[in-house]
Amino acid sequence: MRFGSFFKNRQKNDEQKQEHPAELKKSLDQNLAVLKQLMEEPNDLVIRAFSLGQTNYRCAIVYIDGLVDKQQINSNVLKNLQLFAEKTDLPNGADSVLHEMEKELISVGDVIKADNLDEAINDLLYGSTLVYLDGIDKVLMIGMKGWETRTIMEPVSESLIRGPREGFTENLRTNTMMIRRQIRDPDLRFKTYDIGRRSRKKLVVAYLEGVAHPDLIKEVNRRVESIDLDDAPESGFVEQWIEDSFLSPFPQLMNTERPDKVSAAILQGKIGIILDGTPFALIAPLTIGNSMQSPEDYYERWMIGSFLRGLRYLAAFIAMFLPALYIALLSFHQGMIPSQLAFSIAATREGVPFPAAVEAVIMALTMELLREAGARLPTTIGNTIGIVGGLVIGEAAVQAGIVSPIMVIVVAVTAIASFSIPSYSVAISFRLLRFGFMLAAALLGLYGIILVYIMINIHIVNLKSIGVPYSTPFSPSFFRDWKDLVLRAPITMRTRRPSYLKSDDNKSVNKGET
Amino acid sequence: MERFEYADNSIGDREILVAVPSIVIGVGVLSMPRDIASATIAVDGIITIVAGGLLAILLTWFTAKLASQFPQQNFIDYASLITTRPFGIVLTLLLAVQGFMLAAFETRVIADVAKQYLFDQTPYGAVGLSFLLVVVYAISGSRTGLFRLNMMFFPIILIISILVMLLTTGLFEGGNLLPVLKTGVSGHWDALKQSIFSYIGFSFLLFYTSLVKKPKNVPKKACIGMSVAVFLYALIYVMCVAVFGNLAAGNLLYPTIELAKNVQIPGGFFERFESLFFVIWIMAIFNTTAMAFDAGVFALNSIFKKDRKMQLIFLLAPLIYIIAMLPNDIAEVSAFGVFVSYYGTTMTAIITILLLMIARWRGVTKQ
Repeated sequence: MRFGSFFKNRQKNDEQKQEHPAELKKSLDQNLAVLKQLMEEPNDLVIRAFSLGQTNYRCAIVYIDGLVDKQQINSNVLKNLQLFAEKTDLPNGADSVLHEMEKELISVGDVIKADNLDEAINDLLYGSTLVYLDGIDKVLMIGMKGWETRTIMEPVSESLIRGPREGFTENLRTNTMMIRRQIRDPDLRFKTYDIGRRSRKKLVVAYLEGVAHPDLIKEVNRRVESIDLDDAPESGFVEQWIEDSFLSPFPQLMNTERPDKVSAAILQGKIGIILDGTPFALIAPLTIGNSMQSPEDYYERWMIGSFLRGLRYLAAFIAMFLPALYIALLSFHQGMIPSQLAFSIAATREGVPFPAAVEAVIMALTMELLREAGARLPTTIGNTIGIVGGLVIGEAAVQAGIVSPIMVIVVAVTAIASFSIPSYSVAISFRLLRFGFMLAAALLGLYGIILVYIMINIHIVNLKSIGVPYSTPFSPSFFRDWKDLVLRAPITMRTRRPSYLKSDDNKSVNKGET
Repeated sequence: MERFEYADNSIGDREILVAVPSIVIGVGVLSMPRDIASATIAVDGIITIVAGGLLAILLTWFTAKLASQFPQQNFIDYASLITTRPFGIVLTLLLAVQGFMLAAFETRVIADVAKQYLFDQTPYGAVGLSFLLVVVYAISGSRTGLFRLNMMFFPIILIISILVMLLTTGLFEGGNLLPVLKTGVSGHWDALKQSIFSYIGFSFLLFYTSLVKKPKNVPKKACIGMSVAVFLYALIYVMCVAVFGNLAAGNLLYPTIELAKNVQIPGGFFERFESLFFVIWIMAIFNTTAMAFDAGVFALNSIFKKDRKMQLIFLLAPLIYIIAMLPNDIAEVSAFGVFVSYYGTTMTAIITILLLMIARWRGVTKQ
């Protein structure tokens, strides 16, 4: 019954919405009445009606409390308008008065005249201040947004030792500002969209005109335009809406909190997607080579950068294969372990009641649980969880004879390796694949591992990120791009943008060549 | 630069360059030194390997030349153009059968070798089945993807082969290579047949060249790719003979894997290198099998007007599995291998040369 009435109400509301006259009236009272009726007078809607100085012109300013900078409104709008009478050369007619207000009286940079109610209300909800004047069906929208925001802080999920310390915030303007400050190029484009039927969040597609490939720009814009959600609370929604394949364990767009990462990608000819309300920006396209890159590779000198990157590839290998190799070697190919090591493993495994596969799955799952618990808890308690989990449970499990010490080493090394992968979402998909490898190893040993490896490769070569093959630059191979793959070539040798992006303006470093 | 458009799906001649050795290098190389060493004396087999290789390169050139004369046309289209439509269908079927048989053979050998070197308890049926399923997964994807897989796996295969040879240089005994040039003509003839057979697979160029946008360079690139295979074969053969001696090499079942068995890893953090070698070699075998199966499906599919790729794959995969599991023992498997090689080589050679000659004679060119 209640549900029925709820839906009825809902329907009625919809009908009412459709009925409402989506146009501005001439009379101020009517306008305000429409506004009140539309929003049902919420208590954060501030309507301040007054007359223009000593004149008979009545006007009103409307804003939503909390979304605007009240101080500025008072000093730059309200005050100026109320002192209107001091002006002597008063123009005649509401039209010209409004014009005068727009041009002269309101000391704010961002003033737009609108004659459409929908547009005005959208802007009102986004933090604009509306100025109505009696006798004209137009309204001024003053952009003086100001709300409580988080200050710029160091990105939590991607910390660097060397590199800029600022990270994106939840405020779109701050974020675009940070990119603008890195790329002072008039060709930098910010294409803005409203995402979400109800939430109407701003989304910015950022790219460099003449550097990013036109087809890529077109494709990203086409996909962003197709988004039709009630709300996109986080850029993850956008990512999942526009990605190429939802059946893939691999992320097809890079997400990052770092402005330097986004601007570097834009300069390469990629496209950044920034959503209001989240510090995580997206970078498209993402290929397999990118998943192992960290901005720090470029900030440190090239030898160090190359070494760190090589280390990371090793880490990726360990994170994916080590437990599976342990299972395969112990249950199928004991002969491959050198005899000394085999004896010591056999000695430590004495009394362990489970086969290697069960042992490995128990420990790997425990590790995942610990990680998850640590991530969900406040930082201080999270650390405790690490100590309790890592040391106490590990030690106790060995003492109790549930797992062997070697297994604890394997799981610990795997966990450390998976934490050293720079991108969280890549690391998590590697961890997911690890379980696939473990299952294959338990069934078919090394043979199973290589089959799963081949399957992952098959998947990767068929996968695309915004139309760019995921396996680039390995295959289709762009040998020039290999300078920035495992080896990070010196800055002076990396003279070109990645060739798979087919940028029109290919050169990124000018060494005096023509 | 015009080779790869943004999100383009076609393949280039570089992909062909890698695809040719990827197709050719498969299970053949694992047993190849045995067949050749048993027919020749000391290291004389290298002559036949190179001679067979040159012949194979020549045939590759012919196939690629024939196919590249008809850019972006399927084999069936230009075969029908040169001869007649029914004849074209027959030729396509004959070549498609070769692909399926090669795929079946590779599947069977991989199951046998895995049983020998990786696990002795798992039934080879399960091993072969899991392998074939992965192959089916691969060819259900895009054809471009297959070529990209070749590009990804081929360097790994080259690296592991070179690694094996580098790590066994300590066992290299020059004395095993002598005396040279003592093999009679009949011995060379036997070995030559074996050596040509280990190069089968290049006939798929007849189909895949149609995917290349500008196939002008395909014959050259295909020949370069083939020479890589010839070079690798010759190197492996020399190493096998030098390490084992001709007699032992001629009696080992899989001399190439046995070569890997002799690898001593410095530091000794794991043993039995041959298991690792074979596991990585599975990628090479996978490439061959996937390409062979896909070429067969590609050929059959071109007969139908509608795209029936998926139906064909699911229809043919069980068939291939059954054929692969038919031979009862090693002897029957190698007899099957000999048959596949004979069939493949003669079919490809005859069809290619016939079509080239008729095309020249009737003056058929691109439509």
